[in-house]
Amino acid sequence: MTDPHDDHEEYDKVENVHGVVPPPPREDHGLGPYGADEVHAHIGSYRMYFAVFMGLIVFTLLTVGVASIHLGRANLAVAVIIASVKAVLVCTFFMHLKDDNKFNSLILIAAVTFIGVFFALTLNDVAYREKLDTQSGNRVALESGDKAPGSWENPVKKEGEKKEGETPPTASGVPSAEKSPHPN
Amino acid sequence: MAAITTDQHGHGGHDGDPNVNYLNNTRGIWSWIYTLDHKRIGLMYLAAVIFFFIFAGVMALLVRIELLTPGRTIVDPDTYNRIFTIHGVVMVFLFIIPAIPASLGNFVLPMMLGAKDVAFPRLNLLSYYIYILGATFAVISLLSGGVDTGWTFYTPYSTTTNGAVVLMVLGAFIAGFSSILTGVNFITTIHKLRAPGLTWSRLPLFLWAIYATSILQVLATPVLAITLLLLMLERTLDIGIFDAHKGGDPVLFQHFFWFYSHPAVYIMILPGMGIVNELIATFTHRKIMGYRAVFVSSLALALFSFLVWAHHMFTSGMSEYANMVFSALTFLVAIPSGVKVFNWTGTLYKASIWTASPMLYALAFLFQFCIGGLTGLFLAMLAVDIHLHDTYFVVAHFHYVMVGSTVFAFWGGLHYWWPKMTGKMYDEKTAKRVFWTVFVGYNGVFIPQFVLGSRGMPRRYYDYLPQFQTLHMVSTFFSWILAVGLFWMLFMFIQSLRHGKKAPRNPWNSAGYEWGAPSPPPLENFVKQPVFTRGPYDYHLATDAEIAED
Amino acid sequence: MSEAEVADEHHDDHGEAHGDHPKWLQHHWDTPAQQFDAAKIGMWAFLGQELLFFSGLFVAYAIYRTWYGDAFAAGSHELNRTMGAANTCVLLFSSLTAALSVRSSQLGKKNETTMWIVLTIACAFIFLIVKYFEYTAKFHHGLLPGSAFGTPRDMLTFQPIPGAHSPAGELPDHTHVFFSLYFVMTGIHGIHVIIGIGVWAWILKRNLRGDFSKRYFTPVDVTALYWHLVDLVWIYLFPMMYLIDYVAPGHKG
Repeated sequence: MTDPHDDHEEYDKVENVHGVVPPPPREDHGLGPYGADEVHAHIGSYRMYFAVFMGLIVFTLLTVGVASIHLGRANLAVAVIIASVKAVLVCTFFMHLKDDNKFNSLILIAAVTFIGVFFALTLNDVAYREKLDTQSGNRVALESGDKAPGSWENPVKKEGEKKEGETPPTASGVPSAEKSPHPN
Repeated sequence: MAAITTDQHGHGGHDGDPNVNYLNNTRGIWSWIYTLDHKRIGLMYLAAVIFFFIFAGVMALLVRIELLTPGRTIVDPDTYNRIFTIHGVVMVFLFIIPAIPASLGNFVLPMMLGAKDVAFPRLNLLSYYIYILGATFAVISLLSGGVDTGWTFYTPYSTTTNGAVVLMVLGAFIAGFSSILTGVNFITTIHKLRAPGLTWSRLPLFLWAIYATSILQVLATPVLAITLLLLMLERTLDIGIFDAHKGGDPVLFQHFFWFYSHPAVYIMILPGMGIVNELIATFTHRKIMGYRAVFVSSLALALFSFLVWAHHMFTSGMSEYANMVFSALTFLVAIPSGVKVFNWTGTLYKASIWTASPMLYALAFLFQFCIGGLTGLFLAMLAVDIHLHDTYFVVAHFHYVMVGSTVFAFWGGLHYWWPKMTGKMYDEKTAKRVFWTVFVGYNGVFIPQFVLGSRGMPRRYYDYLPQFQTLHMVSTFFSWILAVGLFWMLFMFIQSLRHGKKAPRNPWNSAGYEWGAPSPPPLENFVKQPVFTRGPYDYHLATDAEIAED
Repeated sequence: MSEAEVADEHHDDHGEAHGDHPKWLQHHWDTPAQQFDAAKIGMWAFLGQELLFFSGLFVAYAIYRTWYGDAFAAGSHELNRTMGAANTCVLLFSSLTAALSVRSSQLGKKNETTMWIVLTIACAFIFLIVKYFEYTAKFHHGLLPGSAFGTPRDMLTFQPIPGAHSPAGELPDHTHVFFSLYFVMTGIHGIHVIIGIGVWAWILKRNLRGDFSKRYFTPVDVTALYWHLVDLVWIYLFPMMYLIDYVAPGHKG
């Protein structure tokens, strides 16, 4: 197996020709512009790559198997956890984050963090949004069933109940109460 | 380490010839169209954004003229809706987002790093053409009927109204990718192309601001892309994701839209803050007070901007609980903004201030940013916002941040780096007169709008009650003064290109890194690979030769 | 994404290439390591934006699955689980071959690199063919997004197929929301696969031309990174689309 660092000597020569500039302080944890000259390439073994691949296949079979077990709402959670384990395997080994510049991992972590913020704050709205009561056309608080603050009386609904099936114009999300998956 | 390659490579084969610079080292239109030089690309961006600024500015003038009287003044309501939409879309997506990072940033970023170019020069050129392509779609949309949705494209109106919404949205979608690629490029450049000695703690504050901006461009813009893509699919294939009749959620569109567009506000303002740091340091010859606090606050603004987007949606039908959470989070933004203002004021305190024209813009920035920022606190407060939402108060607030802060900083930066970019000086006396005209005109337009809004004048309305007319007339009148000032500024810069006297290397006696290069710079920016041994604001360490004019 | 070749016209002015500055090292870099690290950072930043790009769709998925759990389960059961699982394995295998193509190019083994790239492209085509059959079946059953839901159509001409049966009527309300998301998410993923094929073909051409060596394999590396991202997205899409637990109609919770 050839070592990629074979070229070291050649670069050392380059260094000597131009070595007039003192290296800058390396306080930036190796992220500085003038690190080592040669390309850092950690070469993984065939064994490692195939082992990771087999792991990915095993987890795929696992996720298919778990899906047919009735877990209710936990199914989604289990599926996401298994998928995340697979994702970590791919990122760490196939995408070389294990031996890579730590800043690249930081980019990934930042992206995932902001996705988390996106999920958390959007679902925070949806989960606490009052549901629409088809009887009154009002928005009602989820827990108590009371009229929600600021909710709007639908005059059409008050007069006749015949338009029951229609989605009221105020629908801001959950169009009908029966479909609401929230346990009452 | 092969740090000094400049000596071997020369500058386009004319090593040492002071008359050869990036503007004249190659000639002909194709040498510009295919250029990979960040300075030329920066100039091309500058020309494009100025063109769109003038175009959208004329639209704003039309809006103001229409609002001179209640009822019809010059156009019918439908045309009015199209005019204010085109003003918003073009100003936001084609002017203010690329304005500072892609034009001035592109020009000075590698120079401040002591680098020869950005990390990916071809990607840089590609992002310029992507931007032009996006702009082309926006113009086609305009020619085929325009759009009357407002720049926010809210569903369900945007999915049901007539007009060329898909084309306009496609234009914004494409322009977004230009912004993403610029961000990718700048992050990489700042990481990998800093000259020897340029440590993170010596990085100019403008670059810290650009760095924070780039993070936002990379991580927020794609959400706009997917939002606009879904909107296009909604209109063309009727997929129903945002359609309440089909079980979709229109409020979700607003979440998606503002998840990008709130951070976008910081894509606009952060580079402006960065320029102001450079201006204040140069024209007081002082180190910015609390360097660390200033760059940390830039990064904090970038972070917080992701947590507050739904304060645009307090009246949208979002849950009351989410309203409270977002209102509380929004106040966080005031902290880093306050830190910055404190540091700038502290730097100015008892300083000997040279009120050259760029510095006047920086001082106006401080004044107007305080107004824009503090009125933002009113709007962050849930109860007050219910009253002020979608009124002229909001219009005035965000124009104080967008125009009064960002665009004033852009003008300041343009004056400041103009000698470096073109090698010509402009007429300082004219520049000061222009500044005062613009300053008076600008504030005259928007201060009356605060009053209008707090009295209940809704934004985007074609017609209004008679009691609002006086203030509308004042606002319109000052918009003409502002327009005169801006055309005067344009004329002044054109005059400078034609007759301006040759700019010295360092006309402002700045210790900033970019002033070490000749004006205008050669192809690879510096005659010799610079090695930085002091910070960009260390006037006590700068030699006399460094801060001399030539 | 690769900024590899020194093909810019400025260099024509510079005259000859310099001994310390190999042809593939652009003029503004000092060392190969600097250029390589920059390419990786740039690609990772680009992947960061890709993740955020897809995240919007996953947020929409989370909300609508919470609201219309029954419809999502019913819609999921209309999908072909076997084909989905097979495609997952194909894509995982292509990820393996992509990683191995980087490995062989790091070692300067040109022919081996060619083999792995060809295998990767072949897997991408298999994935798309399977996807084509899946889509065709959905079109013929009228399981289409939004207002097209319920009308069987031909995949290529998009004309309604008279007399064809659609199971849409028997499915719970709002199942069309599931199919809207299914087509948008897998469609955008499919576009990424197609773009990936194009980039791999270009890399293959350059590899055959002999552009890469132990010292310079950056384009292979960053292309493989992109390809792994395509795989990553599918790793999440597969269980979320194909493997939703069946909940009997009327059952709540």
